[in-house]
Amino acid sequence: MATAAKQVAGASGFDGVRLALLSNRFEGICRKMANTLLRTARSGVINIAHDFSCSILTADCDLLAVAESLPIHVLVGPDQMARTMKEFHPVLKRGDAFLHNSPYHGCSHPADHTILVPVIDDEGRHRFTVLAKAHQADCGNSIPTTYNGTARDVYEEGALIFPAVRVQRDYKMNDDIVRMCQMRIRVPEQWWGDFLAMIGSARIGEREILALANEIGWDTLSEFATQWFDYSEARMVEVIKALPKGRVTRTSTHDPIPGTPPGGIPVNATVEIKPEAGIIEVDLRDNIDSQPCGLNMSEACARSAAMIGVYNSIDHRVPKNAGSHRRLKVHLREGCVVGIPKHPTSCSVATTNVADRISNPVQAAMAEIKDGIGLAECGAIFPPSVGVISGVDERYGRRYVNQLLLGSTGGAGAPSCDAWMTICHVGNAGMIRMDSIEIDELRFPMVITARVLQPDSEGAGTFRGALASFVEYGPLGGTMEVAYVSDGSINAAQGTRGGLKGGASNQYKLDRDGGQQPLPATGVIPLNEGERIVAISTGGGGYGPPTLREPERVLADVRSGWVTPERARDVYGVAITPGFEIDQDATNRLRGSMGPSGARSA
Amino acid sequence: MRFAVDTGGTFTDLIVEDDDGALRMYKAETTPDDPIRGVLDSVQIAADDRGIDRRALLAKGDLFIHGTTHAINAVITGNTAKTAFLVTKGHGDMLVFREGGRIEPFNFTVPYPDPYVPRWLTYEIPERVLYDGRVMTALDEGAVIEAIGKMKAEGVKAVAVCLLWSIVNPAHELRIGALLEQHMPGVPYTLAHVLNPTIREYRRASAATIDASLKPLMGAYMRTLASRLKEAGFAGRTLVVTSQAGVIDAEHGAEAPIHLLNSGPSMAPVAGRFFARVDEAAENAIVADTGGTTYDVSLVRKGRIPWTRETWLGTPFRSPVTGFPSVDVKSIGAGGGSIASVDRGGMLHVGPKSAGAVPGPVAYGRGGTEPTVTDASLVLGHLDADFFLGGTMKLDVEGARRAIRDRVATPLGLGIEQAADAILKVATENMVQAIMSITVNQGIDPAEAILIGGGGAAGLNSVWIARRLGCKQLVVPEVGAALSAAGALMSDLTAHHTAHFFTTSERFDRTGVNKTLAELEARCRAFITGPGQGSKQSRIEFSVEARYPNQVWEIEVPLRQPRFESDAALGAVLEDFHKAHEDIFAVSDPGSSIEAVSWSARVSCTLRASEDAKLAPSSPKGHTADRRRAFFAETGFVEATVKRFEMMKVDETIAGPALVESAFTTVVLPPGATAIRRASGSLSVDVGS
Repeated sequence: MATAAKQVAGASGFDGVRLALLSNRFEGICRKMANTLLRTARSGVINIAHDFSCSILTADCDLLAVAESLPIHVLVGPDQMARTMKEFHPVLKRGDAFLHNSPYHGCSHPADHTILVPVIDDEGRHRFTVLAKAHQADCGNSIPTTYNGTARDVYEEGALIFPAVRVQRDYKMNDDIVRMCQMRIRVPEQWWGDFLAMIGSARIGEREILALANEIGWDTLSEFATQWFDYSEARMVEVIKALPKGRVTRTSTHDPIPGTPPGGIPVNATVEIKPEAGIIEVDLRDNIDSQPCGLNMSEACARSAAMIGVYNSIDHRVPKNAGSHRRLKVHLREGCVVGIPKHPTSCSVATTNVADRISNPVQAAMAEIKDGIGLAECGAIFPPSVGVISGVDERYGRRYVNQLLLGSTGGAGAPSCDAWMTICHVGNAGMIRMDSIEIDELRFPMVITARVLQPDSEGAGTFRGALASFVEYGPLGGTMEVAYVSDGSINAAQGTRGGLKGGASNQYKLDRDGGQQPLPATGVIPLNEGERIVAISTGGGGYGPPTLREPERVLADVRSGWVTPERARDVYGVAITPGFEIDQDATNRLRGSMGPSGARSA
Repeated sequence: MRFAVDTGGTFTDLIVEDDDGALRMYKAETTPDDPIRGVLDSVQIAADDRGIDRRALLAKGDLFIHGTTHAINAVITGNTAKTAFLVTKGHGDMLVFREGGRIEPFNFTVPYPDPYVPRWLTYEIPERVLYDGRVMTALDEGAVIEAIGKMKAEGVKAVAVCLLWSIVNPAHELRIGALLEQHMPGVPYTLAHVLNPTIREYRRASAATIDASLKPLMGAYMRTLASRLKEAGFAGRTLVVTSQAGVIDAEHGAEAPIHLLNSGPSMAPVAGRFFARVDEAAENAIVADTGGTTYDVSLVRKGRIPWTRETWLGTPFRSPVTGFPSVDVKSIGAGGGSIASVDRGGMLHVGPKSAGAVPGPVAYGRGGTEPTVTDASLVLGHLDADFFLGGTMKLDVEGARRAIRDRVATPLGLGIEQAADAILKVATENMVQAIMSITVNQGIDPAEAILIGGGGAAGLNSVWIARRLGCKQLVVPEVGAALSAAGALMSDLTAHHTAHFFTTSERFDRTGVNKTLAELEARCRAFITGPGQGSKQSRIEFSVEARYPNQVWEIEVPLRQPRFESDAALGAVLEDFHKAHEDIFAVSDPGSSIEAVSWSARVSCTLRASEDAKLAPSSPKGHTADRRRAFFAETGFVEATVKRFEMMKVDETIAGPALVESAFTTVVLPPGATAIRRASGSLSVDVGS
């Protein structure tokens, strides 16, 4: 590692041409896998929400290449799953394929079915592993959602667990396993379509790597992998060495739901930058034990979530793979809610809620260590605007169950620009697509009467967080149930470096006569014809003091109706005239009285 | 006589077709401050070539076909009209949300894109239509009039209207149109359901706002073009190239300027399809157009040119998607001007940063210091320093060598030629990856397609691109350096009509579908007897956009018959749908029903009797050499054969290492490649290995 660092300083010892060509080739293979999966999958969670990933690992199970996808899926996990595959199946043969979704063996959570295919050379040597992972529309849980937040353990959760189970040998399907899944997973033909799409994607990856090796040679590919890791590590070292030394602990708390302590789940994250060693450490050991609910982290998600917080904070051009990962140390504890879960702890919701409570304080802590890096906290999910609706479609006399993707914003203020509005949640990084109102109304008996941004819900800052979304919908010609697990109504997204917190989530029911009925943070809510549910998502936190925000940016938000003139005055210290002009003198006075550290109404 | 002019970023290409069918190709520099001057300059060059007056040349013309980047440039530079947006109440942030999605998940240095129309020029109108056309909330006309008052006060110059479900019941949108006519006379407006009757409200809204914002500018441009051509002596018909690979009358282009957004790049596959057929009898082709800064890839699949509604105004997910049907063109920042650099970790990068036209490659001697792909080709001897663009620009070999030595060879520990070769290799791989992303999405196996190399710089590395893709054949058309202009000359007068009508194969509403198709056909017939009058021949093609239940994206399937006379006709559509799904996605579900979402009719009127596109014979100007020292990775320096493109006889062959040159392009044939001159004028290359 020290040699790698030295190589950066002088002329590189790497083959810079081969690095450029082969890194592009491997990424191209991942892209081809991802395109295949996207285009052939049947469920909306894959082809609308893009909740899937494709990656390539070396024979040593090191993460080599990834198609651009949601970060919580891929940073750590694929490596552990490949190791499990090797451990449980010491003799790997060409034509094998494995199904893996065990959070106790490297998978993120049981809804993320994963197909692993070992790439075997003509001599029978295991050379690479290709991996296609996709969130399933259903995974056989005891209730019709893949996010069983209140399950006391994996038994109550109910998902079928596959710890690297061989589903193909000699390219032929093990139909026993297929039939087991078809007996347990809801809408089995949809699962089967997605399963075939994943197998197809992994087989394309296998075929392309075999062709690449045929052209380049296996040994050259292995040498490239070694150099690519060293190069990536050296880039990482270079970035870390330019950061100041520092250690910050921040806490972020998941709202209480049934099964959590009354105060919810607080997550303490300690970030330490060690520039002299070229290392960043994240310590998550000082946290409570696993809880009797579905919010516990899998090891893959705990590590990935911590790394997301770091990678979101530094130069994004550093390649993310096993080489750069060598410079990130994530300390976990067995049996901890944000650590290494012991079977039968439930990790049903491991990719989103508490995972976000790891990434968010890490990136906010990075910002505290140095101005110009890090991020504020992103908003939490799942409000009813991204809840699961179900009922009977009277038009066709058939049942429907579907997750809506009508809007969750929540982006965090950044060091040099405002939030990316549609980030969804920190682990998704905005990769998700949003439903079309018309497509949803055509597919389901419903009417969506509003989808707009909620004024004054942004985390104020020099660079502000995203505004919350305001979504209102209800059934048309029948009844409907809406299921959701909404975090962030008590613990909003925090700002950093003087930035303020974003708006909290909220939801309520609108009666036929327009009366508002408050709704709990988590629930399955029946709606009758004429009734509507209103979902207000979380805003994102701000970065830097709002009083340092350029007045022109405040004016633009006021003109857009996103920030009221009162809030512009009280929080940003910017006076805006009724004709939408900045009153410079009044602004100077306001900002002078507020001081540089921020607003009066924080 | 016909003129086809394509205004690109750097050059304005002109092809003149004489009445005997012979073509001549010219290039003038593009003049961004006044693009029409560049157009007239190109005609001047043609006139000079013939030794006649420009007026006399233009007077001979009966058709003037124009492809222009004026619309997209205006959008990119924000030079469009102040536009307002009227939308259903409760959906005022439609243009802010777009359809979600992002790239580069760890990059937080890129701001969230502004909506195409600012939120303060967006007016929510109380009204609501349901999915089946029922009115849930009546239109509040008072609110419309109030909005009009505010728009006037703001000085709005164009208006777009997009209401939910206007494709099913357009009454509210039409009424708003009437109120705009009444209270804001003279201000152009676009109703989304008229312009782009597609489901997915954002895509209609996006198309409508872009279209409205371009109306004042493009109306003026088209009027100016027509009057300046007339002034200069042209008395014929002026047509413009559309994003859908057709041409329309200039005044129609001004009425719906979104058609002109991708004017130009959409023509390359029209020409590509022609050469794929005549030269190689191929129905599948990858059409690459290499410019100085961008590399555009389009396709021909089974003789058809695939289209998409996912055309981005800028970087994908960081800009609006137009939502308007357009030829599927994938564009990346790669070309002769792409800059090569070595990062601090020691890895070589080529592009996407480009030296552009100014300062351009180091070899241009215009102040460029960073080595580019063009510099690499020069250093390797693939380009002739004395015969670049026919010798009109002398290239600085020493400057190029120095730049590559200092910035690439030394940091990589390579020799200068090896470094130049590496630059070409990395540039080639970038282009290959761009091609693969579009071929995978459109379900084309590159090994089953031929590669058409268009654009002046295509010949420099297209053989290697074809080898990497597994394409056996590369075709470089003689008019390849002006491929879009050539395509414009070949294209038909077209119109595309779409209607939303939802039905399923399980409960197929034959009467409703036939009524929809009859309406579409009537509009096409009106086009044939209107703008299409006097054309050589005309045809109408019908298609349906359909999907499997639970899918969210539709695919387009051509209909075999213009009506559903019997249930058997439905069976044929099902069969064709499953087949098309198999072609694009490699899987199908023959047992499944399908859902039809919208129906289209495309009318084409052929304007040209001949199909050929062969350059008139010309005697080469400038020097000609027989051999040149050129470097190839496989052999090192060798004495490569040098041939003038236009001097090669039909069926004459040439084997690499060789360089085939004209005033517009150089085709590099590395060892192992052999080429033959086709009757069409093309150089057809068996790329070997």
